[in-house]
Amino acid sequence: MQMNHELLKITDLEVFYTVDDDLVRAVNKVSLTLRDKETLGLVGETGAGKTTLALSILGIVPNPPGKIVAGSVEYQGVDLTKLSDKQLRRYRGKEIAMIFQDPMTSLNPVLTVGEQISEVIKLHNKISLFEASSRAKEMLELVGIQSSRYGDYPHEFSGGMKQRVIIAIALACNPQLLIADEPTTALDVTIQMQVLDLMNKLKTERGSAMLLITHDLGVVAEVCDSVAIMYAGEIVERGSLRDVFEGESHPYKLGLFNSLPDVDSDTERLESIAGLAPNPTKLPDGCKFHPRCKYCTEVCMAKNPELIERETGHFIKCWNIQPVKRGKTV
Amino acid sequence: MEREPQKNTPLQEVWKRFKRNKLALGGFIVLVFLIIVAIFAPYLAPYDYAAQDYTSRLIYPNAQHWFGTDNFGRDIFSRVIFGTRYTLFIGLICTTVAAFFGCGLGLIAAFFSKLDNIIMRVMDVLIGIPAMLMCISIVAALGSNMRNMMIALSVTAMPNFARVMRAQVLTVRDQEFIEAARSIGASNGRIMLKHIVPNSLAPVIVQFTLGVVNAILMSASLSFVGMGVQPPNPEWGLLISAGRAYLRSEWYMCILPGLAIVVTTFALNLLGDGLRDALDPRLKR
Amino acid sequence: MSLLLEVNRLKKYFSTASGMLHAVDDVSFKVERGKTLGVVGESGCGKSTLGRVVLHLLPATSGQIIFNGKDISNPSPASLHELRRNMQMVFQDPFSSLNPRQSVSEIIGEPLLIYKICKTKKEYQERVIDLMKTVGLDSRYENTYPHELDGGRRQRIGIGRALALNPEFIVCDEPVSALDVSIQAQILNLMQDLQDARGLTYIFITHNLSVVKHISDDIMVMYLGEMVEKTNTKELFSTQLHPYSKALLSAIPRAKLDLKRNHILLRGELSSPIEPPDACRFAPRCNYCEDICTSRRPSLEEVIPGHFVACHLVREINGL
Repeated sequence: MQMNHELLKITDLEVFYTVDDDLVRAVNKVSLTLRDKETLGLVGETGAGKTTLALSILGIVPNPPGKIVAGSVEYQGVDLTKLSDKQLRRYRGKEIAMIFQDPMTSLNPVLTVGEQISEVIKLHNKISLFEASSRAKEMLELVGIQSSRYGDYPHEFSGGMKQRVIIAIALACNPQLLIADEPTTALDVTIQMQVLDLMNKLKTERGSAMLLITHDLGVVAEVCDSVAIMYAGEIVERGSLRDVFEGESHPYKLGLFNSLPDVDSDTERLESIAGLAPNPTKLPDGCKFHPRCKYCTEVCMAKNPELIERETGHFIKCWNIQPVKRGKTV
Repeated sequence: MEREPQKNTPLQEVWKRFKRNKLALGGFIVLVFLIIVAIFAPYLAPYDYAAQDYTSRLIYPNAQHWFGTDNFGRDIFSRVIFGTRYTLFIGLICTTVAAFFGCGLGLIAAFFSKLDNIIMRVMDVLIGIPAMLMCISIVAALGSNMRNMMIALSVTAMPNFARVMRAQVLTVRDQEFIEAARSIGASNGRIMLKHIVPNSLAPVIVQFTLGVVNAILMSASLSFVGMGVQPPNPEWGLLISAGRAYLRSEWYMCILPGLAIVVTTFALNLLGDGLRDALDPRLKR
Repeated sequence: MSLLLEVNRLKKYFSTASGMLHAVDDVSFKVERGKTLGVVGESGCGKSTLGRVVLHLLPATSGQIIFNGKDISNPSPASLHELRRNMQMVFQDPFSSLNPRQSVSEIIGEPLLIYKICKTKKEYQERVIDLMKTVGLDSRYENTYPHELDGGRRQRIGIGRALALNPEFIVCDEPVSALDVSIQAQILNLMQDLQDARGLTYIFITHNLSVVKHISDDIMVMYLGEMVEKTNTKELFSTQLHPYSKALLSAIPRAKLDLKRNHILLRGELSSPIEPPDACRFAPRCNYCEDICTSRRPSLEEVIPGHFVACHLVREINGL
């Protein structure tokens, strides 16, 4: 892979929540790098910490009860965690834009879609309202909505179209980095495909980098260049798309792939991962996945492994890395 | 996510959350204190509340009479203590009756849409009439005594309960578990009592505390103008009324019972706020 | 193979301010005992409404439902009450389909109380524990409340409740859509095991094609209230005949690399289900649309034995 310059560098990030006297370790010493024009898929199930991670980049972790307690988030060399809210606002929407999960509630119901797009443009550019609205109309056309719908309200759009509007708002100021949190999860599969297609197209045209958060490995395969898998607040595997999909495996990743019903083959019984994700206030000792792992050994219960680099750029956090490509486990 | 079964009923969870709010807890303690005072009034009051003593008329608060004496020589402190009984009795009984009938109507209105319109329009009419006016009219029609005042207070408090209950039931009614109850053969009665009502209580409880506060204030006002509790009963509003003529000089006759009302309603308001926060489903994990 | 359920020309319309909403429009199908019929479609296709009408949770506008040989289209309240013992539902949302004020054992045991199944309290408690074990819930969760448990366990509670009356037939409305992938697999396995052990018949409603392929014997595809294609699972995935089914299958994101992805991109959006015209409802989005498609509604035809399609141009499109 061509080594583009580093756009986003997260180092040893720790984000904790204090809920009802319990400490929730949402993000535990996470390190990630995202380069120019790269699309990184952040995969994990509910409670893995993906959304918290995304919110920390923009400094919008709800506080209370959440707090970034350690680590750094460097965007083009500047540590965002050290900036004040006022300074961060210059980045939000302009350099780094975010798309949230539920299109139904992400739009302001009392403003027209055109107004919501021009609002973002005006916030970051000293231009007239007229100019902002014509740029907004361009954005609408870009995402496949007729510009005549500038004056329509969100409730007049379907779910898929609302998500397009949200993409338009996110891209309005030409951000270098787009963070998309489960952007297509709430959409029908045919609409999802339209939206993913659009995102792919825009990504190529505009050359922006994207951090795509999802639980759907199929979506990852469609859109991403590289993948990071999160479990219990830690990155347990990370690498290029091919390495993660076809190379060696962290047992959790292997379990995820094996529990997917496959459209192209016939399986009698699905393999599931035993047990449940751990309670984030009571994380197990040693490797966080060990209570559910088929390959658990003594060292796994005692010590949390470090991320080990395998083939260049493929990192796995495990004492017993599985050598097989994904397939039925013994 | 793995969670060890806590064996906490929803009630225990609410109490846990409630306890964390110190102000609300304070309100609750004050309420408990008042209940104790009301129950043990005869043992706590230093004097008989009706005992007149012409040698000790209009004495300022001192060591023998903490709240002073009134123009009949009666110890005001003892009268305030016994007045607690009236306050709590009226507040709790009227509000309970209003809640029972109001929630019943609200439940029926929300559950049986054909009856919704007519029930709620009647409620609207009742709410439209200023409560004080309505109470005075009812009492004037039936006669000025405590029983009739309590009837009036119950009637005027009913519509708010109906509204609150109806709003909540409308939300609960559309939840999937109601549909699920139907699918397992539950009758309408069972659905209403076991499924809808238990999940509709939160705003009703909050409304209840507000209702008690309102009842106390209204009762004081009505008794003050002679349309409620009759003298010589030591209802707090009556005590204030009796002290009217002496406000300039013997201010304690009005102020101290008034303070009792203020403290009580303030505590109940804090309690109500705390309950509302503790019961808020959005704060549930 | 005996027939457990037969549905003929079922319609469910809702009256709205702008006209009649055709939620389910003239749908007919049969389900054999012990088998699973998968019902797939996207939002607005009417699949959830269909499930509820079959179970009489919503009254049908017209049509016939024959269950176990008896016509149950308009049951009296008493016979409906009896019927419910035999036809149950597993709901989609493991959060809102359980009463937050009831404990696990109360939820699962409620059907037993309603139908007065157990003669003694002891019998009742044993039955409840037994049901809990059947669905993989440890007995220590007896007195826990839904909010203390995760989605997977909550869904098990829902399944336990559906099994309490020992029904023959269960409608599963997107039972795994709200669950994480690893839990999804656990629940799907459980449902298959239960079907094998008890000879249950399922109607499995979902929008997820990979899941439906895994669990169904037959599949019917719905679009805007109508059935557009129906056949057995294997055939549907190897040979889709209706343009919508083709698009639907092509849109499934596959977790594999190097696939030749021929995405069939559909134009536009869903048309309105209110007062739809007498035409093919998929026509506005169809890449093969011709005049006949917009002037007459296609009827369901058995194009290949056992394979039903509602499309004017099915033969031309597929070279049959």
